[in-house]
Amino acid sequence: MAEVHVIGQIVGASGFPSNSLFCKWGIHTGGAWKLLSGLREGQTQVDHPQFDNVAYWSHPIDVHFATKGLQGWPKLHVQVWHQDSFGRSELYGYGFCHVPSSPGFHPLDCVTWRPLGSWQEQFSQLFVGGGPQLLNSDLIYTGADRYRLQTRAMGTVHLQLAVLLRNFDRYGVES
Amino acid sequence: MAAVANPTVFLLMVSGQIESAQFPEFDDLYCKYCFVYGHDWAPTSGLEEGISQITSKNRGYQPNLVWNFPIDITFKSTNPFGWPQIVLSVYGPDVFGNDVVRGYGAVHVPFTPGSHKRTIPMFVPESTSMLQKFTSWLMGRRPEFIDPKVVARGEGREVTRVRSQGFVTLSFNVVTKDMKKLGYEVSSAAMPNPAAASMGDGLHRY
Repeated sequence: MAEVHVIGQIVGASGFPSNSLFCKWGIHTGGAWKLLSGLREGQTQVDHPQFDNVAYWSHPIDVHFATKGLQGWPKLHVQVWHQDSFGRSELYGYGFCHVPSSPGFHPLDCVTWRPLGSWQEQFSQLFVGGGPQLLNSDLIYTGADRYRLQTRAMGTVHLQLAVLLRNFDRYGVES
Repeated sequence: MAAVANPTVFLLMVSGQIESAQFPEFDDLYCKYCFVYGHDWAPTSGLEEGISQITSKNRGYQPNLVWNFPIDITFKSTNPFGWPQIVLSVYGPDVFGNDVVRGYGAVHVPFTPGSHKRTIPMFVPESTSMLQKFTSWLMGRRPEFIDPKVVARGEGREVTRVRSQGFVTLSFNVVTKDMKKLGYEVSSAAMPNPAAASMGDGLHRY
């Protein structure tokens, strides 16, 4: 079987309405993929940056997959949350990006969005915060059921991923 | 050097330096480094950890803190999983002269042969309650990680609150041996090695 290593960091996020952010992340793969070692999902620390308007997480990622096919190439999905001074968490954005298919080091920027509620919900959100969340988080990385959703653009999550491939050329796969 | 036809291990040779740091609020800092790596990895030569000198800014001329501290280490492994990370912790005196931590940070050793520059964000853990904040200020003891190596691990991070307050710039020269023979592709022919300078500089200037 061919092997894929994804090693790197979730560096941080910028462009969100306020800082003090953390991120829940996960890697979704197709059925032909097997996780050999490493963590498939996790949650970062909460950063209150001192100067910049960039929250830094420096969260390490190191996963090792074996695969029998190219379908379902790994996708990394993120949820950015904001933690306020009372320790309450509120959703700030969903996003996903494909793990690059060419070997090497890749700096990536993952754009995010969040669902919009009705105007009543948006009005109350102005005062009490919160907001609608996805019931089914599969929607973050699938395109099948999105057409009913209304969303708003949020900030960007910055990643640095290195992809190492093994034995792909033995099967004639060019990457 | 005897050429081995069917190698079972690959080598990763890292040399470089901890060049400099940007901590706008602090001065007289020193830096500790150590490496964190997976079970399949073993260092074959070089120093796994070190402590730099105490450096200060040159006001008006050089806003950065310069360490120019060398790193030189070689690893061997059978599996890229657990690729080495360098963990930095920066310390300096507070107003009472106690040594307190000014930042933790970590980054993976670069993957492709060549020279690379990395600028990494540095953060300190924060007290979670106002009372703890007050007592730590009073006693002059800031919260610290018991083991700085936690910053290189992905588990258990969700409980930590941090404040990022500086950057450290590192340069690396990486040489690998026998990775290709073991079937690994580290870089693509279509995509040349990202230019070392353009990547490292301005990394934190999104």
